[in-house]
Amino acid sequence: MSKHQYAMVMDLNKCLGCQTCTIACKKLWTDRDGTGYMYWNNVETRPGLGYPRQWDRIGGGWKDGMLQPSPLPTMEDYGYPWDYNYEQRLYEGSRKPVMPSPAPTSGVNWDEDVGSMNGDENYFFYVPRICNHCTYPACLEACPRKAIYKREEDGIVVIDQDRCQGYRYCIKACPYKKIYFNEVTGKSEKCIFCYPRLEKGMVNACAAQCPGRLRFVGLLDDPESPVHKLVLKYRIALPLFPEKGTQPNVFYVPPFNPPKRENYGKSILEDPRLPLDYLIYLFGPDVKDVIVRLEAELSRAQNGGRSELLQLLIGRDAQTRYHVRPQLVQIQG
Amino acid sequence: MSTFRFFILALALGLLTAATLAQTPPASPPGQTLRAAPSGATADSLLNGGPSAWVQVPAKRISLNRTPPLFETDEPAVQEISTADVRVARTAGKLVVQLSWRDATQDTATLTPAPNTPPETRFRKVQTDADDRFFDAAAVMFPARSGSDAMAPSLQMGDAEHPVEIYYWNAARGPMLMEAQGRGTTRRTGQIFPAAAAYQNGQWTVTFELPELSAGTPMAFAVWNGSQKDRDGRKYFSVWQVLE
Repeated sequence: MSKHQYAMVMDLNKCLGCQTCTIACKKLWTDRDGTGYMYWNNVETRPGLGYPRQWDRIGGGWKDGMLQPSPLPTMEDYGYPWDYNYEQRLYEGSRKPVMPSPAPTSGVNWDEDVGSMNGDENYFFYVPRICNHCTYPACLEACPRKAIYKREEDGIVVIDQDRCQGYRYCIKACPYKKIYFNEVTGKSEKCIFCYPRLEKGMVNACAAQCPGRLRFVGLLDDPESPVHKLVLKYRIALPLFPEKGTQPNVFYVPPFNPPKRENYGKSILEDPRLPLDYLIYLFGPDVKDVIVRLEAELSRAQNGGRSELLQLLIGRDAQTRYHVRPQLVQIQG
Repeated sequence: MSTFRFFILALALGLLTAATLAQTPPASPPGQTLRAAPSGATADSLLNGGPSAWVQVPAKRISLNRTPPLFETDEPAVQEISTADVRVARTAGKLVVQLSWRDATQDTATLTPAPNTPPETRFRKVQTDADDRFFDAAAVMFPARSGSDAMAPSLQMGDAEHPVEIYYWNAARGPMLMEAQGRGTTRRTGQIFPAAAAYQNGQWTVTFELPELSAGTPMAFAVWNGSQKDRDGRKYFSVWQVLE
């Protein structure tokens, strides 16, 4: 058990799917050889395929104390990244339009905004995903090299690039498929929760750049932190697929979406636009209680009352959303 | 748990351990020797001269064993490769070892450029075209400390008192020198060594240039089959062969 645990909460009601977080992360960390297909942070449309596609159905995690390794996702599951023939068009006199090559067949965010239908109404929402920096990381257990460790001081899970030999047992074990293999270096890589930024008192790049202000960062064990309040005090943030057994430290405020057209004024649970079954699939059975609690807060605010929770969720300024505490986290060794 | 049940469990564990130990091949089984033939050819011609440079060097066929599943969650793997041929040539200050084995699939890739290419020399980021495949590989292991200690180290990469050196070659990444002090400690030293490899008619022939090793030095060999997703301890291995 680590002494402290950094955590992130993402309010899915505020995510607009703009991918600014994805680009912030990509420019900062995965703009290197062999990282073209790597998205330490990605935003996927739900319901949808996800990235790598069908990652939520491949397997991984724990069951009865045993690892449940899945097959490795194939490059087809990620989609072969493509490039454009700019040289031919711009410098070599080609009259043909600029075309992607190889011909795209799949890719990150491939089914953006497709969603699904509930009766005659379409619904979808966005789920930004990073490594969950789990309390019981399956990747760590799976690595025969002991290359993966959970930082004692802040609970961030990282891969030691000197020890990693690229065996990819971690990718098979991770139920969220958030570890990527770099074929050029022959080693595996993943989100590092921007620990070099946190150590300098700056928040994660994905959170700092988020125009929707939907990310909250802090120590889960710090009662003053927004993540502590959202997860433990108000209990309105849940991990993705809790049944995988790894205890993620990234949490989500489940999406509300507006009610169905004819349902204004009714409880969202009465006839939800987002099928409750799908939310339960993603966030577990507790999601129902969370929606009840959120509706009660909304109702109080709509009736002129004050809701500290809603003020927190609005998160007007960085001081509200982020409690980065390098002074609390003593770096070990 | 009652004392009796604990006793039974301890007994069962003990028997299991004994059974496992009994399966471990003896460190230096009698008769497992490997003759190093003196060769007039240079190390370079042995590496790059093709089969003609090796006609005078006899081959020894060694048995390859498949490692049992290392983890409870390991997928089973059948034994597709059962033997390898080893030739050892002693030339000026070098020992050149050639390992050949039959493998129906050539699992390799061309990986360019080197990971540390300066950004200004790149036009675009090189993209992986596979993340779920593994490459054919082979290795020669021998004790890091030569000399009077005749006992062969543990086949599981030696131990703290008996470190080993591993000359490892990978079909995609080429040769790399590794060292280890027991299972799970294998480490790339960052050094490489001269090696050559060819795949022809369903057979790999890999030639390693090793430093001079004295007679009596034990050597062990390993082969990884990429198509069987071999990596780590998931591989084929030989028992120690003592150099004559």
